[in-house]
Amino acid sequence: MATARQLSSGSKQEEGRINRRSAGPIAPSDNSLGGVIERFEALQQRPDSPVAAIRRRPARDARHADMPDPIDARLLEALAARGIEKLYVHQAQSWNRIASGENVVVVTPTASGKTLCYNLPVLNALATDPSMCALYLFPTKALAVDQLEEFNALGDTLGGDVRAYTYDGDTPSDARRAIRRRANVVLSNPDMLHSGVLPHHTRWARFFEHLRYIVIDELHAYRGVFGSHLANVLRRLKRIAAFYASKPRFVCCSATIANPRELAERLAEEPFSLVDDNGAPSGEKYFVFYNPPVVNRQLGIRRSYIGEARRMAETFLERDRQTLVFANNRLATEVLTRYLKESVGRSAGGTAPVRGYRGGYLPRERREIERQLREREILGVVATNALELGIDIGSLDAVVLAGYPGSIASTWQRSGRAGRRNDASVSVLVASSAPLDQYVVEHPDYFFDSSPERAHINADNLEILVNHLKCAAFELPVQDGETFGPHETNELCRFLEETGVLHHAGGAWHWTSEAYPADAISLRKVSSDNFVVVDASDDSRVIGEVSFPAALTTLHEKAIYIHEGSLYHVERFEYEERKAYVKRVECGYYTDAIEHAQVEPLETFDGAGQGPALASHGEVRITRRVVGFKKIRFYTNENVGDGKLSMPEQEMHTTAFWLRFPMQFMNSLPFSTTDKRDGLIGLGNVLRTVGAVMLMCDPRDLGVSTLHFQQEPESLLDPELYLYDSYPGGIGQSEPLFRLRTSLGAKAGELVEGCQCKAGCPSCVGAPGEVGENSKEVALRLARALAGPTGDLAAA
Amino acid sequence: MQPVTRRDIDILRRRINASVRRRPDGSNPPVRTASELPSPERPALRSTTGLAGRECESELGRFLLQEHLIANGRMHGNVTVERLHGMPAEWVGHISQGVIAPSPPGRWAFLDTETTGLAGGTGTCAFLVGVGAIEQDGFRVKLYFMRDYDEEAAMLAALAEHLDGYDVLFTYNGKAFDVPLLETRFRLKRQRNPLAAMGHVDLLHGARRLWRERMPDCRLGTLESEILGMERHGDIPGSLIPQRYFDFLRTRRGESLGPVFHHNVLDIVSLACLGSVVMSSYAEPEKAAFRHGQDILGLARWLASSGNEATALRLYRKAIHVGLPASALYRCLWEAARIERRAGNHAAKVELLTDLCRASDLYRVEALEALAKHYEHLEKDPSRALELTRAAQRHAPSERLSHRESRLLRKIAMAGTGDGEPSGPAVST
Repeated sequence: MATARQLSSGSKQEEGRINRRSAGPIAPSDNSLGGVIERFEALQQRPDSPVAAIRRRPARDARHADMPDPIDARLLEALAARGIEKLYVHQAQSWNRIASGENVVVVTPTASGKTLCYNLPVLNALATDPSMCALYLFPTKALAVDQLEEFNALGDTLGGDVRAYTYDGDTPSDARRAIRRRANVVLSNPDMLHSGVLPHHTRWARFFEHLRYIVIDELHAYRGVFGSHLANVLRRLKRIAAFYASKPRFVCCSATIANPRELAERLAEEPFSLVDDNGAPSGEKYFVFYNPPVVNRQLGIRRSYIGEARRMAETFLERDRQTLVFANNRLATEVLTRYLKESVGRSAGGTAPVRGYRGGYLPRERREIERQLREREILGVVATNALELGIDIGSLDAVVLAGYPGSIASTWQRSGRAGRRNDASVSVLVASSAPLDQYVVEHPDYFFDSSPERAHINADNLEILVNHLKCAAFELPVQDGETFGPHETNELCRFLEETGVLHHAGGAWHWTSEAYPADAISLRKVSSDNFVVVDASDDSRVIGEVSFPAALTTLHEKAIYIHEGSLYHVERFEYEERKAYVKRVECGYYTDAIEHAQVEPLETFDGAGQGPALASHGEVRITRRVVGFKKIRFYTNENVGDGKLSMPEQEMHTTAFWLRFPMQFMNSLPFSTTDKRDGLIGLGNVLRTVGAVMLMCDPRDLGVSTLHFQQEPESLLDPELYLYDSYPGGIGQSEPLFRLRTSLGAKAGELVEGCQCKAGCPSCVGAPGEVGENSKEVALRLARALAGPTGDLAAA
Repeated sequence: MQPVTRRDIDILRRRINASVRRRPDGSNPPVRTASELPSPERPALRSTTGLAGRECESELGRFLLQEHLIANGRMHGNVTVERLHGMPAEWVGHISQGVIAPSPPGRWAFLDTETTGLAGGTGTCAFLVGVGAIEQDGFRVKLYFMRDYDEEAAMLAALAEHLDGYDVLFTYNGKAFDVPLLETRFRLKRQRNPLAAMGHVDLLHGARRLWRERMPDCRLGTLESEILGMERHGDIPGSLIPQRYFDFLRTRRGESLGPVFHHNVLDIVSLACLGSVVMSSYAEPEKAAFRHGQDILGLARWLASSGNEATALRLYRKAIHVGLPASALYRCLWEAARIERRAGNHAAKVELLTDLCRASDLYRVEALEALAKHYEHLEKDPSRALELTRAAQRHAPSERLSHRESRLLRKIAMAGTGDGEPSGPAVST
């Protein structure tokens, strides 16, 4: 652990500028960040300190490489004008690898000059051959707009040879024609490529004929469903490029994840060369883990993390430190913005020094906030993950994370927004009481020492695959013997012939349907079946859309549906019409659906002993039914009522990881049958949390179910515990869970053991009222046994 | 990664059935396994029944060609086929504003496609392309038909060769639909696109100008019955055509395609006849045999927008004379007044505007303001202008009008007329 030192001194604090009542846990004595760090360190020494960890990363000097040889003189001049005489080593490495014709994936931290890694080779290629073309893909439209500016800043030096445009849903139709005719660099997103470009590739013939580079920035954003779709869109893209006799190279950039090269290779299905030797300089940096103090040990209730995040932000703001606060949802963002505007804004006068920032704001407003941040016109911003991606806002002094962002990679990326080149910066993670947050904040070593998560995709999810094969056939007939990715297509095409959309003639499969298949496929979901939410109190206005699986648990009759902070009561749920009619209400509770899931294994792909249990992964059928709901009071989370529901049963084929505990082992445990069942359910909840941590996914992406225990407590069958992919067909989470099964058990044990509650709480196995009094104890026994030696019953 | 096997496909079927259907009762639909499926090679189905026409063959393959002759003596609605011969070569120049060089009607090709859908994109195919031409003995329509997807290349190549014999392409909505679609097909087959070398007249644009005012829509079918006086019997609705073709691909029974071929031929003959009406009215506007004021108004506007204002004015007056519904009449007066103003015919302009502010609610404010401008700037009569401005303001007060009012008041004060009271004849409003 580093000793704190005086880092820098800010301007002197004006007396009375800050509302003292709300002053943070550390009272301001001087304005430097060093003072704050010292106080955090002092606080950490106290017993039961909320400061769970402080880590220091020393400053790092830049490591440069000479400009590679054949760079166009105009570009060199433009770079020099911006003070760039040499490249960082990673930029030079990318250049060399790209020059030698390799596909490259660049992985370096936020603000390390990644953009130049692809802009420089592309611009230099344009300088020698203005007819060549490049396609840039970004996960959002806003990023494309942002990057166009940056690209043009350098590209303008080449004059009319560079014709770069964004092409997305916002592009007016007359501009589209001109772009298709003229552009040599197109900045777009996967959704537009999927539904607007590939199905009309003949209009882009010139572009595809000259397509030399495909740049995919923010590669880490393409995991799970979105990534599984993008992999298939890229299969289609490569197929079209081949039709026009071009074979583009890929340049990808990613935030730090465990497997950037694997992800790039799975997405593009080509070999990649990895560049991760970061040569960019950085200032000294502190990272503080803060767990709000426990106020009720029995129930495991802690002080509100929103309030603590506010106090933390105030600590920095009152020292004139430019601060970015990240919240995990819109509501928290707005609440924190209001709090901070009140406490900091009151005495500052003039324009508000703190602003909110989220996806729902108008683009113009967001551009203004970004500019104000860059030019230090505002002191603080409260943002959702909308600011996590590479939008240029410069670097700040401090980042406060209100709640764990959900993954190590995302946490590093958000905290990377703090980082002055020549000055110290600090990030503070304020944990909420969610299980994931509690696990991370109480296991700082896990966070700091392990590599960030792996990003998983399953390009071969059959539902996704088949949908894209339809699009591919629409774009160009599928020739006999042609492969789509690694797949032979003949059987799949026959299947599609059966459904009436393909027809075989002349050695190829042709699209025979009036439909435009890309319209029916959203890249952000497995299936595009949606429910619309109709506000019956306001002229039957449609206020939202909810995906099929979520609709059953959030839009059932009598549910409270929350939208933009307003409460709506669901009056009518029309299953066949895919509609829910709601009315505005004011009430003090929300609802939580009770869902029963029945799991049935269909096929085992692999199995192995794990402690006393048998671990497997494979294909399962999940049958789910929403059977009722609970009414839960806001703030206190008391259960204030419930109701029964009769909802249609849902069946889904997906992939799962499961554990079978032999009866012999279960019988050896000194607990009642009920306790053992509760323990198994508790263990399931813990495994879900730990699994989500390890897979870099949302805990809701994993479902939990048990078999042979719930129905028949005295059954002779071995009880089984399932963790399944919550998406039809699976998105590739089960196989890695199986691979990571040993650490899964060990980490589950650590989580339960480390939790400060007495007999279970929502942060570990679940509340005692839900999982029983002894669930925590039994779950811990089971977890330890799992981490122990295989087949050794005595370990229990 | 493993390639998908037959066994995977069985799983796929189960999965897709389960996730796509989502049956409320939770039951699974019956499943067919891959091994039960017919093989894609089905030689028995390749023989087609019920299709007339000549099989053509080239090195690219075969396709079916059908020909239809509508003899000179025949009537298509109220137009004789003979009339098509009389169209002068200059008309294509006129209607294209000089973009297309004059070319005799024998060098014009009238084209219409039947497609596998309206969605556009590379997955939409023109399975039937009809080309009509004015020949010695009548109007001849050649239908290029692909009996399956493997005949597309040969069909397109023959179509291209045929179109090489013509200078001008006529279509209905072809700019937006048929031409880009065929361009895509030629490109997908890596063939030369013959359309690029042809002048193109999309008659939808002229038809819209002429009949938008009076017709509920300007679809070819609507104009065919309203303008050409042609009624079709037992015609197949366009929306059913793609499915007919898909059914044919599976059954090889050509009988059900008969109505599709017939539909295409009629569309092309209507296209040519409507072309003669549209072009003649545009080229010789004062001879146009329009009985409806709205049609004449449409023609007047079209001429005005292409710069022939003198003829346009005469037609505006003719339209008023023939009779127009109230709203069209007011717009007609207003537009005519603007043209008179540009032409410097101020007396005529004042007359039209004065009529307009007496009669119409729709353009009254604009007309009063235009008159106010006239009196202020041309007649140098600020009092009269003031009076008109105030009349306009009574109907629709606006900042612009108050601004004009105060400026006029200043002018009057400076000119020393003193009381600022309006003089001159009052306009009743």
